[in-house]
Amino acid sequence: MNRKLLTGNGAAAWGARLARIDYLPAFPITPQTEIIETLSNWIEGQELECRMVTLESEHSMLTAAGAAAVTGVRVFTATSSQGLLYAAEMLYTVAGWRVPLVLVNVSRGLSSPITLEPDHNDVLAMRDCGFLQLHCATCQEVLDNLLIAYRLAEHPRVRLPVLVNLDGFYLSFTREPVQIPSQREVDRFLPPFEAGSISFRGGEPLSEGVTVLEGSAYSYFRYQAHLASLEGIAVYEELGQEFAKLFGWDYSALECYCSEDAEIVLVMIGSFATKAKEAVDRLRETGRKIGLVRPRLVRPFPVAALRQALAGKKGVAVIDQNLSPGKGGILHGELASVLYGTPEAPAVLASFVGGLGGRDISSEEFFEIHKVVQRAVATGITPEPQLLYTEEELRSLRKMQSVARAVRSNQGGGA
Amino acid sequence: MSDTPYQHLRDLPAHHILGTGTPMCAGCGGLATLHQVYDILGEKCVIINAAGCMTLLSVYPCTPFHGSWLYTAMASAPAGAQGVRDGLDILKKKGRLSREEDLEVVVLTGDGSANGMGLSATSGAMDRNLDFLYLCYDNEGYGNTGQQYSAATPHAARTATSKGSLGYPGYKKDLFAIWAAHNPGYVATVVAAEPLDLARKIERARGLSGPRLILALAPCPTGWDFEPSASVEIGKLAVATGIWPLKEYVDGRVTHTKIPHPRLEVRDYLKAQGRFAHLFAPRENRKMIAEIQARVDRYWQKVD
Amino acid sequence: MYRIRFHGRGGQGMKTAGRILGTAFFLAGFEVQDAPRYGAERRGAPIFAYVRASRNPIFERGIISRPDLIIVADDHLPAMPGSGVLAGAGEQTVFLIYSNEEASLWQERLNLQGSVFTLPPLAENELRFRGAACAGGAAALLAELDVELLAEAVREEIDPLGSELVADNLEVALAAYAALAVNRGTVHEGGPVSAIDYASPDWLKLPCEETLLSAPAIHAPATSEMSQTGLWRSERPLIDESRCKRCWWICSTFCPDGAIQVDEERRPHIDYGHCKGCMVCLNQCPTHAITAVPEEEAAAQGEKP
Repeated sequence: MNRKLLTGNGAAAWGARLARIDYLPAFPITPQTEIIETLSNWIEGQELECRMVTLESEHSMLTAAGAAAVTGVRVFTATSSQGLLYAAEMLYTVAGWRVPLVLVNVSRGLSSPITLEPDHNDVLAMRDCGFLQLHCATCQEVLDNLLIAYRLAEHPRVRLPVLVNLDGFYLSFTREPVQIPSQREVDRFLPPFEAGSISFRGGEPLSEGVTVLEGSAYSYFRYQAHLASLEGIAVYEELGQEFAKLFGWDYSALECYCSEDAEIVLVMIGSFATKAKEAVDRLRETGRKIGLVRPRLVRPFPVAALRQALAGKKGVAVIDQNLSPGKGGILHGELASVLYGTPEAPAVLASFVGGLGGRDISSEEFFEIHKVVQRAVATGITPEPQLLYTEEELRSLRKMQSVARAVRSNQGGGA
Repeated sequence: MSDTPYQHLRDLPAHHILGTGTPMCAGCGGLATLHQVYDILGEKCVIINAAGCMTLLSVYPCTPFHGSWLYTAMASAPAGAQGVRDGLDILKKKGRLSREEDLEVVVLTGDGSANGMGLSATSGAMDRNLDFLYLCYDNEGYGNTGQQYSAATPHAARTATSKGSLGYPGYKKDLFAIWAAHNPGYVATVVAAEPLDLARKIERARGLSGPRLILALAPCPTGWDFEPSASVEIGKLAVATGIWPLKEYVDGRVTHTKIPHPRLEVRDYLKAQGRFAHLFAPRENRKMIAEIQARVDRYWQKVD
Repeated sequence: MYRIRFHGRGGQGMKTAGRILGTAFFLAGFEVQDAPRYGAERRGAPIFAYVRASRNPIFERGIISRPDLIIVADDHLPAMPGSGVLAGAGEQTVFLIYSNEEASLWQERLNLQGSVFTLPPLAENELRFRGAACAGGAAALLAELDVELLAEAVREEIDPLGSELVADNLEVALAAYAALAVNRGTVHEGGPVSAIDYASPDWLKLPCEETLLSAPAIHAPATSEMSQTGLWRSERPLIDESRCKRCWWICSTFCPDGAIQVDEERRPHIDYGHCKGCMVCLNQCPTHAITAVPEEEAAAQGEKP
């Protein structure tokens, strides 16, 4: 085990390398590109035996990834934002093939307006495709989850592709200390893939991706993918324990931080959740009973674990780094469906939307969220959904608006 | 072409391996092409399909193939071919796949995918010099959705989206030239109505490597509006009138494999199909027929 | 926790500076987080990098709002609107400015409450080594970082960029360290934000506004001219009127930014508000009528932009 400073992208590349990937179909996009650059340098330097091919689009990249997976080789690929959506059709398609592969998505806000900074609308737009989704909060989790992702995807009870998500900038370009296990240690956790019936070869006919014209049969196949995905919860827990035995730290579908005795719980996914942990620590110092619950698995969604973790809490604040126009925060809706009708459901389930397009969430804002929820618990009135957006931000936007609509005297004339 | 085992019609395969019972229309020129091609390729291939009529060849739990099949999506069958080819090569290199188990990777799409949505993926596969065969069954329209015009629809043809008195105002895209411009391994046009020419070209393509296109005119009784029984006749007329030149591209040179002589008038071909009926009734549109004839003449002037 | 921000421009090595300091802290046994921060703009545009270092796991993320140390690698930056150099600076914030001018002058000019140090350019061809110099200077102000740690961090970070670069970068970093070593330990770790008496964020309920306002569209022409990209420039092209043949087109056509206009007498005029100092004009002028003068020198000579 070697502890080094690595960016989230570097950790993803290390995860792929240690997983001994066979095949890397690629396409560059910010902020993911460093992953494929790093892997390509290793391939050229003969440190990694892998075939890399740059396709002409993410749609083709995912097609090639899935098609290669059907031959039984271990496939890795990565994209971000617009690329993920460009490949969207193939995410659904490949998931239906029931073959394993791992896709890293480096979250970045979606156009329009086009941006480079992160939020989770890209990955949540792919919520329903059938890929399992692992969401990382630290660079260490990126590496570890990549290894677990292959076990999960290749597990006979699952056999679905897995998406590992990390936030652009806040993880992708941020260095943190990361424990890099040795190849020998990883080989003990992640053996070569035994593809079994997944193979194209002469003498063994296989028709894959076939048409199913009749609703009843379609329902069966689609629901089977759902059931396999649900199996992923227990499999992830098992793998998390096995990982702990070999590496010394464990993984679970939920990260529960100070939540056991908490009265108020924050729920969020991704790297901003560590900021929430910082706020929890500060509030705990002042005697507030607050905690954090962070789903690492978003698909399958750990419903039972969430119910258990949130049972009897007085108030829950869901902080969504995403927005479904016309509805609001996506996780808030997911949580409501998890908790509704359960005997010990928290009375207050408040919705906050923040961090869109990489907008920061300050410690003060976490404190304020706590205050708002505390007040709601006292009054019994759930607050309206709140966008984390200040008067000062609007003032600065007003300045931009005045520029965007300015009538200018010396058009094109220079200074 | 004298080096192929297909010297005479009697040399053609007598045993046909593509399974029967497919849902393709009666008289389908595309299916005729596929079964002739499959006979020569044999079952050791994996067909990578894009959305089109032929997607319905494999409807769970039925498939006509003895070998393998992978449906991808309308835009990316060549990328699917890339993934399968690379996967097989990786397995071979690692000793996990024997030479005997290796497969020929064959893309199968209609003209809609080949000329439109899939063209970027096709061009990309050619950039990467992917070793694959591409079989395009060209029925000159989006046939699977009821024959709307595509980039491969010929001038003046009536389609579900060009029903006016002048038919389709555009001109058929020259996919042969687009492929040839990429300098690939092989490009050829074929039609099932000329099975010897087809067999020779498939045999030749098999012996070459890199990207290889077989562009097959696929007379479509449903979309072109003619009796299924006339399917071969229409194909022969397309060749005899010079509308569908049979040719191949190898090493930078284009060779015509059958020069119609004398060339029949295009009106013979047009008149046989309902999709051109508006050129003959209620009044004959002599100007437009002459224009179509002139374009064909101009093409052959360059050849002669 | 130490919270440190490096400010510079694209091409001045701020990412490298942040990484050298981050690695030095890591080698000293700290938990570390470092990251560069840049937008769509390229070479010459303001960028920054930040480093957090703590004896405990770091949960904070993203931009540092209350820095303990700010390193300014380009002394034009503080005056640039939107460079964010001064953001969050308070009494505890130490400044290290890469500048030939006196620290006291900067203290007064920027009305800084904390300690200010300057680091005069140390090397010939200094732009290539500015990152190493800034990292070395910053390390000198931090009690836990000694010369050995700094040297090892420089080696670790520079070697992947080219082993031939290590020696020169090392020399520059160590010289900067030596120049500021008497101030060792000036920078102190800042504490966390208080959860009791914090300033509540003034969230608002965003009103629904008309599309003309609320869609991200620009309805005015050439608004990019409001960006004073002339501030990116480190050297200024000057036209020697006596050598200019008034060809009327060469310099103005080749100027990538369209920042050279020609008047009716075919005399070219450089728009210094927007000239980025690329020196294409200098290279293309057939009569060599354009020369490059360092910005400071031009300013000192009273050449007003």
